[in-house]
Amino acid sequence: MIFQNAAQLLWLLPLLGIIVILYLLKMKRRELRVPATFLWPARTEEIRANSLFQRLRFSWLMILQLLALTLIIFALARPQTVQKGLAGKVTVLVLDASASMGATDIKPNRFEEAKHMAEATVASAQTGDRIAIVEAGPVPRVLCALSNDPDRLRRSLDQLELYDSESDVGGAMRLAASLVGSEQSARIVLLSDGVFEPIANFAPGRASVLYQTVGKSDRNLAIDALGTSDSPKGRQLFCDVRNFGGEAMTGTITVFADGKAIDSNSLAVEAHGHWGKTIAAPSDAKVFEAKLECKDDLLPADNRAVALTSPGASLHVLLVTHGDLFLERALALDPRVTLDRTDSVPADGAPTYDVVVFDGIQQVPVKSRSVLTFGAAGSSSPVTLVGPTTGPVFRSSEKDALMNGVDLQPVYIGNGEQVKAKPTSVVLAESSAGPTVVESLADQRQIYVSFEPMKSDFPLQVGFPIFIANALDFLGGEGDSSRLAVKPGNPFSVASSLPVTLVTPTDGTFQIQPTGPSVIVRQVRRAGDYKLTVNGQDRTIYAMLRSDMESDIAPKATLSLGSVAVQSTKAPARFGDFWRPALLLSLLVLSFEWWLFAKRS
Amino acid sequence: VLVAEVATPPLEPRDFRVLEGLRLMPRKSFGGRVRGERLTKKKGISIEFADYREYTDGDDLRHLDWNVLARLGVPVTKTYRDEEDLAVHVLIDTSPSMSFGEPSKLDCAKKYACALGFLGLAGGDAVYPRALGVRERPLPSLRGRSTFPRLSHWAEKLESPEENGTTLSASLRQFAGASARAGLVVIASDGLDPEITTALRIVAGRGHEIMFLQILSQVELDPDLEGDLRLIDGEGGSPAEITANGAVLREYVERLESHNAALRDTVMRVGGRYALVRPDDPFEKFLSHSLKRQRWIG
Repeated sequence: MIFQNAAQLLWLLPLLGIIVILYLLKMKRRELRVPATFLWPARTEEIRANSLFQRLRFSWLMILQLLALTLIIFALARPQTVQKGLAGKVTVLVLDASASMGATDIKPNRFEEAKHMAEATVASAQTGDRIAIVEAGPVPRVLCALSNDPDRLRRSLDQLELYDSESDVGGAMRLAASLVGSEQSARIVLLSDGVFEPIANFAPGRASVLYQTVGKSDRNLAIDALGTSDSPKGRQLFCDVRNFGGEAMTGTITVFADGKAIDSNSLAVEAHGHWGKTIAAPSDAKVFEAKLECKDDLLPADNRAVALTSPGASLHVLLVTHGDLFLERALALDPRVTLDRTDSVPADGAPTYDVVVFDGIQQVPVKSRSVLTFGAAGSSSPVTLVGPTTGPVFRSSEKDALMNGVDLQPVYIGNGEQVKAKPTSVVLAESSAGPTVVESLADQRQIYVSFEPMKSDFPLQVGFPIFIANALDFLGGEGDSSRLAVKPGNPFSVASSLPVTLVTPTDGTFQIQPTGPSVIVRQVRRAGDYKLTVNGQDRTIYAMLRSDMESDIAPKATLSLGSVAVQSTKAPARFGDFWRPALLLSLLVLSFEWWLFAKRS
Repeated sequence: VLVAEVATPPLEPRDFRVLEGLRLMPRKSFGGRVRGERLTKKKGISIEFADYREYTDGDDLRHLDWNVLARLGVPVTKTYRDEEDLAVHVLIDTSPSMSFGEPSKLDCAKKYACALGFLGLAGGDAVYPRALGVRERPLPSLRGRSTFPRLSHWAEKLESPEENGTTLSASLRQFAGASARAGLVVIASDGLDPEITTALRIVAGRGHEIMFLQILSQVELDPDLEGDLRLIDGEGGSPAEITANGAVLREYVERLESHNAALRDTVMRVGGRYALVRPDDPFEKFLSHSLKRQRWIG
C-alpha cells in the first residue's frame, strides 16, 4: 500500500496527542455529599475534562476516538492499494481478430479468451475508469470510444468478430494511440497472440503499452499451396502441406475435383516440414478442393483450400512500384487479386504471376500472362516512346469495355509520356500529347497508360477504381464469373447497380445495397463457401485462409512496436484508491463511539 | 439578633395515644436489679407459680401448701417466679450520615427510639439512653413514666456532628465492652457501616437481645444521580469518583441490598429483630403494621 498524499500522515501524531492530552486532563467533578461511599462502585468514565492533569486511564471512548481520527487521517493521505488487472484510469483494449486467434489451444479459442479477458477488465474497472475497445481486424475499427459505461462496453464486446485473415494490428495500435496518446497515465492493452507483422511507425505518446499473450501452443498443420498447371502430360494438381508446429504431426488430406474425391493420403509431417504431392487432375474439372484432417490441429481455417481452373478466377498480381497506396488499394479491392509488391522485376521474369503492373518503373519484358504499365514505356510496351510531356489535356476516348464508366475529362495530368502506338495495339484514349490509354492483345495482354497515377489526380477520381477493375478484367482474360476465390476479411466489389444477396456459411444472409455502379461486399470474414446472387445469377465465393504468417500460430512473448520491444505481461498492476472505505469505516467507528457515549452517560 | 433554635420533641401528643397500652416484648428473660414487672428465671415472690419443694427451716410459712400437708403429712413449700425490671438500652445513631433525608434519619431515629423507650418506662423497665457516634457521658437509667421527659429532652438535644467522631461499629463495640446490664438493645440507625455486622455479633455476644431499626431515606434506597460526581463520604471515608449512569446506579442498589440483607441476617441469627423504616413512613402505620406484627411490641 502506498499513500498519494503521505504528508497528511504528519497530522497523525499531533492530533492523536491532543486527544490523549484531553484524556490526561483531570475532570472537575461535581461534589456531592452522601451518607456513605463504600456502597458506590469505583467506576468512572472520563467523558469531559477541563482542568489539571491526571494519570491516563484506559477508556474505550478514547480508543474509539483515536481509531476514528487515525482512519480519517489515513483517508486524507489517499492510500492506494496495488491491484492486479488490465484496466487503468484510461484504457484502450485492442483485440486481435486475425485468423490465428481462432486457434483452439485455449477453449473455445484464443479470440473468445481475449473477449473474456476484455469482459473481465470491464467488470473490474473502477468508477471513473474509461475504457475504449478497438477491433484489430483487416480494417481496424473503434467499437467503443472511451467510456465508463459498462453496459455500453459489454455491448461493444459483443460486436467483436473474428476474421480468417491477416489483421492490421499496427493500424489498430495507431488508432488506439490516437485515442489516448495525449492522456496522462493511459494504457493501451493489446490482447493478441502476437501473430502479425512487426509494427513500424508506432508511437504510443504518453500511454503505456501492455501486451497480454493469448495462446500457448503452435501445433498447426496447414494446406500451404494448391494449384494446377497444364503440362504435356495433362493437367497437374500440386498440393503442399506444411507443419508450422515444433512437433511432428500426422493427418489425412483428401483432394476433390468438382466435389468428387480423386485422391486421399495419410501424411506425417516433421516439425516445420513440408509434405507435397502432384497428382494428375481431370482436365474438365473446374473446382479443385483439398481438405486436411488432423486430430491435434489447432487452427481449422487453413485446413481447406480451393483452386479454380478458370484463368480469371484468381489473379496473382506483382506490383512493381516505388510506392502508390491508391494503386495498391484499387488492385486489392478486386476479389481475385493476390497482390505482391516490389520495386524491381525478378530476374526470372515473374512467370508465376498473372499480371505485372509497372508503376513509374520502366517496363521490361516479363513472362507473366499480362502487363499493365503506367507512364514508363519499355521495349516490350505496345507503344513507342517519343519523349516526356507536361500537362497534356485529355481529348477523347473510345467506347470500349476498358473505358466503361471511366471519364478522363476532368483528370489533371502533371507529367507523362508522349508515345506512338505500335501497329498491333489499339488506342482507347488520347490527349493533346498523343495516345494516353493503349491496349494490346499481341503476345501478351497489355495495357499502357501514358502517365503515373501519382503524377495526376486520377486516383482521386471516381473512375480510377473502375478503370483498375476493367483493366484486371481485360488482363485476366475470359474467365468463369460464376466462381470466385477471395481472401476473407478483404472487401471486394462486384459490378452491379442492383442490390445483391450474400448467403454466408455462419452469419446468415445479407442484402447489400450498391454504391454507384458496383456493390462492395464486406461480409466475407470467415473461411468457407458463400453464395452471392448478382442480378439473378448465383456466384460461389470461395473464401480461404492462405497466409503463412497466420498459420504460424506460435504465440509470441515479445512484440516489436515501433522501435520498442514489448514483453508479454501476465498480471499488470494498478493502484486503486482506498480512501473511501477508510472514511466509511471512520464514520462507523464514530457512530459506535457516540452510541457508547450515550449508553454510558 | 440571635435566633434560638427551638427543638421539637420527638413524640407528639397524638403519638402517645398509639403507644398507650403497648409494651416491649423481648424474646429472652433478663435478670433485674430491682423488682419490676418482668418475670425472671429466678425464683422469687410474685403471683406466678413456679414449682414445689420440701419445706426447710426459715421458709415463709405463708408459702407452705397446707392442703398437701393435711393430705400427705409432708410439708411442701410453693415457689414463685420472681418479677424484676428489664434493662432497655436505647441507642440512637448520631453519626453524620444520619443527618441525610427529609425529614432526617436522625429525627426519625429519635422518634422511634423515644417511642420504644416510652414503652419501656411505661412497663416499669430500666431505660438506658445512649448516643452512638459521639463521645458523651451516658445518662443514668430511667425508670417510670415520669422520667420520660428526661428521655425526650435528651433525644431532642442530639445532633449529628459535622465530622464523625466515632464510627457506628466502634460505638457499638464500645457499648458492648462497657459491661452494661444485659437486656434489650434498641438500635435506631441507618446501619451504613461496613463493620456493622461484626459489631452486632459482639453486642449479642454480651447477652443482649437486639432490636435493630434500620432507617434509610428514599434517596439512599433509590438515588437519582446524574453526571460525573465526586462523592464525599458523610462518615469521613475516602471520596469516590463516579459517573452516575444506569449501570453504576444499578450496582449501587445491588450493593445496598446486599449490605442490608447481611445486616438483617446477622440480627436474626443472634436472636434479634430487624425492621427497615423510611423517615417518611407514617409512624402509626409502621408501629401497627410492622413492629406489632413482628411482635416487637404488643
